[in-house]
Amino acid sequence: MAKLKLNRKNPGLYMGIYLAAIVVVVLSVFPFLWMLSTSLKLPSDTFTAVPKIIPPHFTLSNYEQAFKGTLLGRYFLNSTYISLTVTLIGIALAALGAYGFSRFRFPGRKFLYLLILSVQMFPSVVIIIPLFITMRNMGLLNNHLSLLVSYTTFTLPLCIWMLKGFFDGVPRELEEAAMIDGCSWGSAFFRVILPLTLPGIAASGIYAFIGAWNEYVFALTFINIDKLNTMPVGLTAFFGQFTVEWNQLMAASVLFTLPSLVFFIIVRRYITQGMITGAVKG
Amino acid sequence: MTPTESVSRSSRLSPLNELWGRIKKNRIAYAFIVPSLIGIGVLILYPLIQVVLISFQKYYLLEVLTKGSPYVGFENYIYLLKNPEFWYSLWITVIFTVACVGLTILVGLGVALLLYQDFPGKKLVAVAILIPWVMPRVASSILWKWIYDDQFGILNYCLSSLGLKSFATFPWLANASTALLAVIIVIVWQSFPFIAVSLLAGLQSIPVEVYEAAEIDGAGFRQQLRFITLPLLREMIGILTVISTIWDFKVFDQMWVMTEGGPAGSTMLLGIRTWVDAFALLRMGRASALAVIMLILVMLITFFYLKLFTREEEAD
Repeated sequence: MAKLKLNRKNPGLYMGIYLAAIVVVVLSVFPFLWMLSTSLKLPSDTFTAVPKIIPPHFTLSNYEQAFKGTLLGRYFLNSTYISLTVTLIGIALAALGAYGFSRFRFPGRKFLYLLILSVQMFPSVVIIIPLFITMRNMGLLNNHLSLLVSYTTFTLPLCIWMLKGFFDGVPRELEEAAMIDGCSWGSAFFRVILPLTLPGIAASGIYAFIGAWNEYVFALTFINIDKLNTMPVGLTAFFGQFTVEWNQLMAASVLFTLPSLVFFIIVRRYITQGMITGAVKG
Repeated sequence: MTPTESVSRSSRLSPLNELWGRIKKNRIAYAFIVPSLIGIGVLILYPLIQVVLISFQKYYLLEVLTKGSPYVGFENYIYLLKNPEFWYSLWITVIFTVACVGLTILVGLGVALLLYQDFPGKKLVAVAILIPWVMPRVASSILWKWIYDDQFGILNYCLSSLGLKSFATFPWLANASTALLAVIIVIVWQSFPFIAVSLLAGLQSIPVEVYEAAEIDGAGFRQQLRFITLPLLREMIGILTVISTIWDFKVFDQMWVMTEGGPAGSTMLLGIRTWVDAFALLRMGRASALAVIMLILVMLITFFYLKLFTREEEAD
């Protein structure tokens, strides 16, 4: 394109590009670094007239304090358990669905596929009122089951869509060849398709995990008992007091951010690919 | 029954029979998708029908056991339409959505163009922009609340050391005229990376030959951008606009964590008002009417954009 000609003859252009690059990098990374820095600082180094980016005295005491006398450890376990369960069940269901849409041509296929994808556009606050009433009638409020079933369902559309893309990429002939060689239908799936689409399955699994890990409004609405809370809702409970312990809050937020950051970096290529092809194909 | 009738009827039936045959033949295919369909049907589609029904009821959670939830026709809707607070919410939701989408697309396009250039260190930029994208919404809301803090926030420190002394203790989130803007900035910060990465993929799919040809014809950077890049990316920008509009229209987490709709209701987006009506005031019927209005708006937005794009394609 519109690719600029960058060479030594044109230092102004180079400088402009780097200036833009530096602004983008600083604006993207600085807030996170600020969170990290606050979490590693003593409160006495935090509330000063001149903020210090690099902590003068590194300390892990905020991390310790954040767990002490709070339910942070419990929130962390709740979130981990819920997210892992949602990932496992969600991926199993989504893989089945995606395989069905990818391999079979059946009446109503297009309609059902569009139906599944289109439910993504509905805001959760729209669905949450009737769901709350249903959960209440079934006695599932303040029960992790209410979160498990909702999160699993809400993760399905995008996972089906991503996985279908990966399944479409495996030529049908491979399966047919395996079946001619005596593989049953199921073992053809597990021995041929699954290994070839493992990166895709990992990527959508991580997508499901991050989705459940981050979810806020359902947890806020369905859970009222503090020790049942997940990380996002538990973290905001730190604001409840008169003063905000920013150091501890930032420490807890760092711990909350790390899993999705690490997972995302592992599979970012697949997730972006999946999301982009999806976005373009609609 | 005359013979002709019976013939026409059987010929009308046969496509149905054929369809039934095809459905039966594909039993296994349905078996694959049925689990997902049941989940989505029970937890998303059925609640959508329910919310419409509840919106026509007087459903006050505290009285529902004693007085039930009688149907009241359009009473909830009339109440809303007569309520200036509803119109205010609608208005700021529109402003909020338009500002978020516009800024996100602009910043995203700029960063995509930057990442398309070849310069040493561009990988670092590509990785750096992942951070805002992947940070959990609630974590970044808490973080920005700290950045916006009036006394010890780093933003006010930066502004006042740049000489803007009036910002020394400026309460960004507690001031009705800046709270919305402050949250818009956070939304843009979190959503530009996806747009940038998507548009970069779009840029890379444009064949280099097109630019080479344009260059031979004497087109400079700006002309190439205007007459080649943007027209070729138009469809993609359109789709990303639709996706962003749907996302930003239903923002809840960030706004709730940072302002709870305050100060004095000045950031009560439709989504926030729906939640407050339902779960703080326990007026489920009224909240459902709001929810239905949101639903209709989301569908209108989608429909409007789809119409716009299909027409453009026909015109081309």
